[in-house]
Amino acid sequence: MNDIKEYLKEERNKEWRVELRKSMKAKERTDRVRVHMPEADPIVRNKNSEEVNKGLVDKIAVSEAGRCLDCANPTCIDGCPVGINIPKFVKQIEAGDFNGAASTLKETNALPAVCGRVCPQEKQCEASCFYTVSLKKDPVAIGHLERFAADFERDNGHMSVPVVDKPNGIKIGVVGSGPAGLACASDMAKWGYDVTVFEALHELGGVLKYGIPEFRLPNYIVDVEIDIMKKMGVKFKKNFIIGKTLSFDDLRKDGFKAFFIGSGAGNPSFMNIPGENYNNIFSSNEYLTRVNLMNAANDEFDTPVISGKNVAVIGGGNTAMDSVRTAKRLGAERAMIVYRRSQEEMPARVEEVKHAIEEEVEFMNLHNPVEYFADEKGRVNKMRVQKMELGEPDASGRRRPIPMENSEFDIDVDTVIVSVGVSPNPLIPSVLPDLKISKWSTIIVDPETMQSSIEDMFAGGDIVRGGATVILAMGDGRKAAAGMHKYVSEKVKVK
Amino acid sequence: MADLTTKYLGLTLRNPIIIASSGLTDSFEKIAELERNGAGAVVLKSLFEEQIILEAEHNLREAGKNSMIYDEYSETLDYIDIHIREKELGKYLDIIKKAKKELSIPVIASVNCVSDIGWTGFARQIEKAGADAMELNISIMPFDFEKGCDEIEQKYYKILQKVKKEINIPVAVKISPYFTNLGKIILNLEKEGANGVVLFNRFTSPDIDVENLKLTVSELYSTPSDMINSLRWVAILANRLKIDIAATTGIHDGKAIVKQILAGASAVQVASSIYIKGISHITEMSKYLEDWMDKKGYNYIDQFKGKLSSNKSSRPEIYERLQFMKYFSKIK
Repeated sequence: MNDIKEYLKEERNKEWRVELRKSMKAKERTDRVRVHMPEADPIVRNKNSEEVNKGLVDKIAVSEAGRCLDCANPTCIDGCPVGINIPKFVKQIEAGDFNGAASTLKETNALPAVCGRVCPQEKQCEASCFYTVSLKKDPVAIGHLERFAADFERDNGHMSVPVVDKPNGIKIGVVGSGPAGLACASDMAKWGYDVTVFEALHELGGVLKYGIPEFRLPNYIVDVEIDIMKKMGVKFKKNFIIGKTLSFDDLRKDGFKAFFIGSGAGNPSFMNIPGENYNNIFSSNEYLTRVNLMNAANDEFDTPVISGKNVAVIGGGNTAMDSVRTAKRLGAERAMIVYRRSQEEMPARVEEVKHAIEEEVEFMNLHNPVEYFADEKGRVNKMRVQKMELGEPDASGRRRPIPMENSEFDIDVDTVIVSVGVSPNPLIPSVLPDLKISKWSTIIVDPETMQSSIEDMFAGGDIVRGGATVILAMGDGRKAAAGMHKYVSEKVKVK
Repeated sequence: MADLTTKYLGLTLRNPIIIASSGLTDSFEKIAELERNGAGAVVLKSLFEEQIILEAEHNLREAGKNSMIYDEYSETLDYIDIHIREKELGKYLDIIKKAKKELSIPVIASVNCVSDIGWTGFARQIEKAGADAMELNISIMPFDFEKGCDEIEQKYYKILQKVKKEINIPVAVKISPYFTNLGKIILNLEKEGANGVVLFNRFTSPDIDVENLKLTVSELYSTPSDMINSLRWVAILANRLKIDIAATTGIHDGKAIVKQILAGASAVQVASSIYIKGISHITEMSKYLEDWMDKKGYNYIDQFKGKLSSNKSSRPEIYERLQFMKYFSKIK
């Protein structure tokens, strides 16, 4: 920790940073108003998959970066799960060194273009920004600046490939090509390890591809980031299910010295209410995977999803927002969120809710489905909902939803998407009886090293946390890489 | 040799001894053991509505304390009560399915309700899993002093109505004796479609530890004297109801079973006596019943069922008062 503080201090005291701080008075910086991210017109964008947030242009990014006070004690870094040197990259943007900013980001973040788009910065780095904490003003738009730097580098063809150490010939297996697996693989590759990422699906990227829609995170951005990792020497094997295609023992015999399990939490949950198994009632996992990964919206493909006219999405989180906004884009005349608590209690990012409202998504807060009905062909055609009221707070601090008696009524629906959470992928735990699992079906790990109860296995991301965020997964991947690196080094030394 | 077969809720039981909803009936292995030891039927340990709420609360607290579990804005934890309900119900349904596949005695599911909301889905799944009947254990404690009797009573009927609308298997209602107009309540339950009533629920007995100044629990098990209330009401109601009555609480031996059947019960439910005396006590009780029937010359249960109920009087309070007067004032 002291090393990092010393390092940050050294960087901050470099001449260019000192000069940059002197170039503008603090008051001039703090008087600036936080940038507003340009967005596509809601009524246009709710019919296509173009990205909603358009990104900042150079001048605006430089101006926003100028708001950063380059604090002596950068609390923003404490709020970042992967420990990005935030002041440095922001000041590099202010100085016009956009490629430099991208390189700084990549020192600790393998996927800056992704994180700049999907991280809940308002709960992380920006929540810890001096502006938020002390000035009670809008924070520096760290997320928007991160995206800017990453996009600039990509769009200008200057994608830097992180430096990797001399290959040490030690094989490391990574299960899952989602954010946790990619972050772990990236760090291990930098340290010279021979890394292979095994992915069960036919596409790399995990939830970045199958879960997050194009209008929030275009797939090509994920592909570009993965290409960089390939240039670093990371190998990828698709359609490869560890535990079925090959076992861990098979891989050990093949020389793999340690494994990182980042298989995610893709097991969908349902409410198990009457009629929930009628046709056209999907889990959000299936719905989004079909659209994002299997071209369900394209008639030419074999994996369709019904473009319902009256679509109800049950739930109030980011996945529910992604699902309902996708439904709108597929032509729903009525795309509804049905959530049993109020809008204030919804777990979704405020920005996602705002975008959904702008796109004419209908919010039925304080409502909960109790039953579904179907036509003679077994296709859902009606949903019975019950009104709710809020009672005393539960253990999460949010008020408990309580059904109101005699409040049921029916709504016409032709598609329902159930987005009430996920649970960890059970495959890996099922083939490893010695692997300790928590009551939430997550893999139990040492929080410092991410090592599991099986010494050569480390884990991180949603398989350890339950459904969480991309950046937390990446933080886990990095921590696990450090843990694996220490473990393997000691093992090799002993030998 | 006497035939102990009896009918309860339209189900044929090899004998009238049902093992009541308790820890004795919370797994397939235990139910199998009870069948091997002569039980006529079992009522599964109740699914508690409040337990699911408490479990969800506990889960949220534990998630909050666990640094690795993402509890902030988690979609999964947002619906944790639903997921826990599903997990508990899933385990419950698995017991029913396995018991129905491998055992032959009737399996009665039990649900403990404090509200009329949220149980209809359960009821259908329980029926689909193969349960032979359902017992609604309704215990709405009148702690809300703003609510009148009628409002509380209506909840009972509503729960029953909702469940009856969803399923075709028989439904029994297990209630407490603490009603002003118990007889009327039970008649109304019959009107609302109950196929049977179970008399009576037994509540936890509070006690006070005067040394340590804290509230405790006493009397974990029932005692034979607890049977009096159910015996009285079985006798009073037996010939006023077309539906079956199961007597419960305080039935500790074969003699008690005989008494309840003479009063008019179709079956009895036992738990405390099995806890106290062990699983072999089931056979002891059924042996007593069989021997008694042989001694009295009864071949079938129906030959003496209700023989001593208050079927003659249209004013059962007189029956009750007459017993009192006969005992205490020596009126003959």
